[in-house]
Amino acid sequence: MNILAIETTGKYGSAAVINGAGEVFSAISTEEMNHLKGMMLLIDEALREAGIDKSELTHVAASVGPGSFTGIRIGVVTARVMAQMLDVPCVAVSSLEAMAGRVLDDAVSKGSLYVVPIINARRHQTYAGVWEAEFTSDYEHKALSPVMEEKQYMIEDLLKELSSMIAKLEAEASGRAQSLKAMLGNAVYFTGDGIDAYKEIIESSLPEGTYVFADEELRYQHAESVTEIALKRAMAGKVLGYNELMPEYMRLAEAEQRLKAGTLSERIRKPVQI
Amino acid sequence: MKDGRFLTLGIETSCDETAASVVADGRFVMSNVISSQIDIHTAYGGVVPEIASRKHLERINDVIGKALSDADVTAKDIDLIGVTYGPGLVGALLIGVAAAKAMAYACDIPLVGVNHMHGHIAANYLEHHDLEPPFMALIVSGGHTEIVNVPAYNKCEKLGGTRDDAAGEAFDKIARVIGLGYPGGPKIDKAAKEGDPESAAFKRVYLEPGSLDFSFSGLKTQALNYLNQERMAGREINVNDVAASFQEAVVEVIADKAVMAAEKYGQKRIVMAGGVASNTRLRALIAEKAGAKGIDVLKPSPILCTDNGAMIASAAYYAYKNGEEPTLELDAVPGLEF
Repeated sequence: MNILAIETTGKYGSAAVINGAGEVFSAISTEEMNHLKGMMLLIDEALREAGIDKSELTHVAASVGPGSFTGIRIGVVTARVMAQMLDVPCVAVSSLEAMAGRVLDDAVSKGSLYVVPIINARRHQTYAGVWEAEFTSDYEHKALSPVMEEKQYMIEDLLKELSSMIAKLEAEASGRAQSLKAMLGNAVYFTGDGIDAYKEIIESSLPEGTYVFADEELRYQHAESVTEIALKRAMAGKVLGYNELMPEYMRLAEAEQRLKAGTLSERIRKPVQI
Repeated sequence: MKDGRFLTLGIETSCDETAASVVADGRFVMSNVISSQIDIHTAYGGVVPEIASRKHLERINDVIGKALSDADVTAKDIDLIGVTYGPGLVGALLIGVAAAKAMAYACDIPLVGVNHMHGHIAANYLEHHDLEPPFMALIVSGGHTEIVNVPAYNKCEKLGGTRDDAAGEAFDKIARVIGLGYPGGPKIDKAAKEGDPESAAFKRVYLEPGSLDFSFSGLKTQALNYLNQERMAGREINVNDVAASFQEAVVEVIADKAVMAAEKYGQKRIVMAGGVASNTRLRALIAEKAGAKGIDVLKPSPILCTDNGAMIASAAYYAYKNGEEPTLELDAVPGLEF
């Protein structure tokens, strides 16, 4: 199995290839929002690093969102057309899940139970999900299981949920006559560019010492983490035809929202009355 | 290459048509697939860029696939890919550009970017197989009203353009006001056929003597005022008459200026392009006025006037043959000039 993965949902585009031995090779843009111009070169670089010819690819995977609408589309279209032309299946990976996977080792090492990727969706909105980090006592085996749905949240609402999850953990800790910090470390691990946007809101909403932010090197989307999920999914046969690879915008276009709500401008909807 | 013919795949997604086409030797349309989104955008009274981008993404693979299968070729037979990289809606453009690059890379096919406006002009090469530059081009569409001198393939010297609304934009606005709706151009054209072009005395705006520029905003205001006055006076508005009078005021000026430009630059041919070039009254009037001066008027059939991949393929073919470097680093340029 040789899987190409494309990640364009955040600021820096990247491409990565995972081979049958599980080795990952990647290339990431140094320019912000250079997805369209730079993607084919990143893909080419990742393939060359891996020593794999494009004709040897068995799957094309894409991070399908949420994230920048434009970015999502560039990645998804690139993956769809490459898969169509190379006659291989696609694999869809959630950007949030890939972000959670990217920080899992770090989160476990910091004693975090909940991994929370948050993508800035502006005006207090965020695309987010909450995963529980599961690991064996020797930390050898680590996995993520979803505990809160991936969707668009108001940051305040998300933090309210997390607060009560932290409160439960604290109750559990005090039942064992321990502090939460001693029992777990930083219970909640945030990652994603939502940190950059909502850091202050998070800091004023959650008790100090109960959460931690991912370092910048791990904070943003990277195709490497897309490949790892894609590999598991491909091995499980969870693949798609190129036409089934769809963006996960998590939000209707504004005009669609207004059309649905019946608030689309009358001027636009009806002929102007003179 | 198939049967000794050089095959170009053209991809176009600059606005609300997802289109792809295979063209042989830059001149012969082997397939022309156009997936229009008009039905979707009608609910919004015009093109919604975010929705257009989403629909392009959903349709692009099938449109390319059908362009290949309709032409009875496979991707391996394609020698060149051309794609519109501007001007247009940025979110829409980037679907075509990303798709074209992915295909070019996956199949090792050279890729060149095409200026959408050069594409409109190139539509004529598909219709008139012997046509070669130089000629005078008149581009009229929803976003453009331009007179362009074309000395060579993909070389354009803009001589004049609109200072405010494009002709198609003016049609859209008046169509909305008189209740014809979107898309305005074809609806005005149709209604005008049943109307009296002299029912309302709308002005012809020629600007300064000798100018090849256009201005339609004053005419638009005059039409709105006329409609207001009629309504205040309690007179019923005849939609067909208003459409015919308004259309006549627009197309007469366009036809006059195109002929003036051809005469001034000694061009014996006027080549029409763009969506509004399929306006039947404009086609008739310009043929009449140019004919009186011994100037030929060439125009593509309506299917090639609308946004399509074939015209992009043709323009790409000539760009490539004239030494344009293929690139996998193409970017979308929404405000691309001629």
